[in-house]
Amino acid sequence: MFEITRDDSGRVQLQGRFDAAQVTRAKEVFSLVDDSCVVDFAELSYISSAGLGLLFATQKRLTERGQALTLANLNPHIREVFRIAGFDNIFKIDE
Amino acid sequence: MRRGFRREIDALEEIFRFLEDFVAEAAIDESTAFTINLVVEELFTNMVRHNAGGEAFIDLGIERVDDCLHLELVDSGVERFDPVNIPAPPVDAGIGERRAGGLGLYLVQTMVDDVSYSYEPGTRQMRVSVTKRLES
Repeated sequence: MFEITRDDSGRVQLQGRFDAAQVTRAKEVFSLVDDSCVVDFAELSYISSAGLGLLFATQKRLTERGQALTLANLNPHIREVFRIAGFDNIFKIDE
Repeated sequence: MRRGFRREIDALEEIFRFLEDFVAEAAIDESTAFTINLVVEELFTNMVRHNAGGEAFIDLGIERVDDCLHLELVDSGVERFDPVNIPAPPVDAGIGERRAGGLGLYLVQTMVDDVSYSYEPGTRQMRVSVTKRLES
């Protein structure tokens, strides 16, 4: 089960399990992100490299335009995956 | 526990259910359960993408022996491809020096205690074996 939505303020909400089978759906939302925004992980329980790759590609595209994603409310397991991936250098992560 | 799964990314849902049953039966802690899911997904999806001409099912086995977890994925009818000995991505680099991709197998190697690869030319079978010590 995976859900991705974007609210009126532009905040992206992730919910459930973000695995390789969900990337196409997530890409539809992230491809429409053109400005800085927050990605809220509060309801996300799991992510794999497929999700990391999409977030990275989005961040790279935004950074080239002077914009950026900020990641919020990562659970400890997901936070550890981001640390191992070296994404502390790539994203602002709100603790 | 051991079972074959269709060579499709969409088989992940069934795989996660299989792992959920194992985690409950073997009394695995939450952190290790997260790691198992990630390791199996990365190795399975790697086989699906790289071994397109292989047999219809990829075999997944997992067991707990005392305080160690052993899992293996076996893929038959495939070409030789070693997913273990690959260069690490530049995780200390900034966004300008990095590219998307290459993280999955690095995560696997970093999050488990041992991972090994073998290939049997006769059956054209590759096997990736993983050991993860359980947190006390």
